[in-house]
Amino acid sequence: MAEELVYSGRVWLFGDSVDTDQILPGYAMSYPREQLRSCVMAGSTRQNFAAEVRPGDIIVAGGNFGYGSSREQAPLALKDAGVALIIAASFGRIFRRNAINIGLAVLQAQTGGQVQDGDIITADIRSGQVVLPDRSIINGQAPGENVIAVLAAGGLINKVRLQLAKERG
Amino acid sequence: MNEIEQFLAAAAGKVAVKVGEDITVRVDLAMGHDVTAPLALAPFDAIGVSKVFDTGKVVFILDHTYPAPTVQARQCHNEMRDFAQRYGFRLFDKGEGVCHQLLSEEFALPRGSVLVGADSHTCTAGAYGVLAFGVGSTELAAAMATGTLDIEVPPAEAIYLDGVLAPGVYAKDVVLRLIGTFGTGGFTDKAVIFCGSWVRQASLAEKMTISNMAIEMGAMLSYFSQESDPGTVAHRFDVAEFVPLLACPPTPANVRPVAELAGLPVTQVVIGSCTNGRLADMREAAAVFRTARVHEGVNCIVLPASRRVAEAMEQEGLTAIFLQAGAVVTNPGCGPCYGGHMGLVAADDVVVSTTNRNFPGRMGAKEARIYLASPRTAAEAAAAGMIALPGTAAGLGGE
Repeated sequence: MAEELVYSGRVWLFGDSVDTDQILPGYAMSYPREQLRSCVMAGSTRQNFAAEVRPGDIIVAGGNFGYGSSREQAPLALKDAGVALIIAASFGRIFRRNAINIGLAVLQAQTGGQVQDGDIITADIRSGQVVLPDRSIINGQAPGENVIAVLAAGGLINKVRLQLAKERG
Repeated sequence: MNEIEQFLAAAAGKVAVKVGEDITVRVDLAMGHDVTAPLALAPFDAIGVSKVFDTGKVVFILDHTYPAPTVQARQCHNEMRDFAQRYGFRLFDKGEGVCHQLLSEEFALPRGSVLVGADSHTCTAGAYGVLAFGVGSTELAAAMATGTLDIEVPPAEAIYLDGVLAPGVYAKDVVLRLIGTFGTGGFTDKAVIFCGSWVRQASLAEKMTISNMAIEMGAMLSYFSQESDPGTVAHRFDVAEFVPLLACPPTPANVRPVAELAGLPVTQVVIGSCTNGRLADMREAAAVFRTARVHEGVNCIVLPASRRVAEAMEQEGLTAIFLQAGAVVTNPGCGPCYGGHMGLVAADDVVVSTTNRNFPGRMGAKEARIYLASPRTAAEAAAAGMIALPGTAAGLGGE
């Protein structure tokens, strides 16, 4: 459940340094939003991703995932394609913020070698814990209160709207 | 507190801030362009405010897809125009230039101002001391409504650049060397402070080239200091040791000396962009074409960073030099840099470009090979039809 920020799903494994242009190429920038998912990961090594990704799937990647461009189309395309969570050893800053702001969960965790493609894993964003198929646990980095608040609200816009409404009384 | 922390504290209305602290800063300018702003319109409306926080402090710029290469791009322009009119803030919609160059020309943001730009190269404004945060569309929408930005105070590290550059070595080579040294994630979530004797004498154009690419090291903020000792972790370089460089596929951090790759055949050259599209860059490139022509196997695209640059090029006769040499001079904008339009490449192309990214697929086909270089190195490649050292087509130093 989104409010609980716990996600179970099938793993798509990626390596280090998946940049924004691999996630969504420049030529797709003026596509209507409905079309973005059709070319998600078009520039990556996994050409079957857009066709085979299913709702609830989890991306597990190495270092610097999403580094590069500020294009919010990149996390939007992943979210629209059904990706529920991205776990990476580290993230490009703007991508990480964009994902959180649109309500796409991210978790920083070192999974190197312990997770296989196709594994079903469970991650709890609040605690930062990732449970693997053999019940072993990887301790990722639990995010700060601000991030939890944005994700729990379903994104930054909801959070700002609630905040402004509260200020107006 | 270092200079950045002092400015952040002031922008947050606090006496002091410390590293890692969550703060809310007031925004002095919020900017979106035609790739990022269209996705900010619906989120802004969803927030439910009736106006932007300050009509003088919000701006939209059409640069990535101008003139529109597709019907959908034009539709985005029209939606941005309607939105800017409805909320009463300024839209640059006549091809005035790439947002980062235009901000430096049109907005006299003082040192320590907070700029929120929906583009990763917003960090360019750190060249003149602005705290420039690159964000995405949703964060832009929130900033337009609230006039604030939530951030954590970043740890800062200083890069000292001392000494004098050798002939044929430029600001672009300096920043490529730094990216090669620190890697694409070297300063993720950190602030980089540039200082040292070379920095103190550098031109604004040179500083903007370097600040532009700070994001290619992952930096949250880039800041060119006026002080001699920022009082942080220090990395020291003697720029006299630097040589002409290329960032090779597939990342800006895969840096090698031009000398090692000399002779590699090239099919397209791009000179310009927000990284290297200013007048000084155009002079360096045009120096090659005063005597040489664009090689028969090369398409050479010249991309001024702004209309002001383009006008100065005309006045100095640089545009005529490029055209007569066989190059194309486009309207100011982003076009080929991000593979949007006006110069996409196919799988078998080899590109030398003065732009800021060479990711797979950045300029079109993901198999195309993109090498990032200084304007002089790029122009030499266009003339030779292969990678060549500065000074090959024409002598260095003095035109």
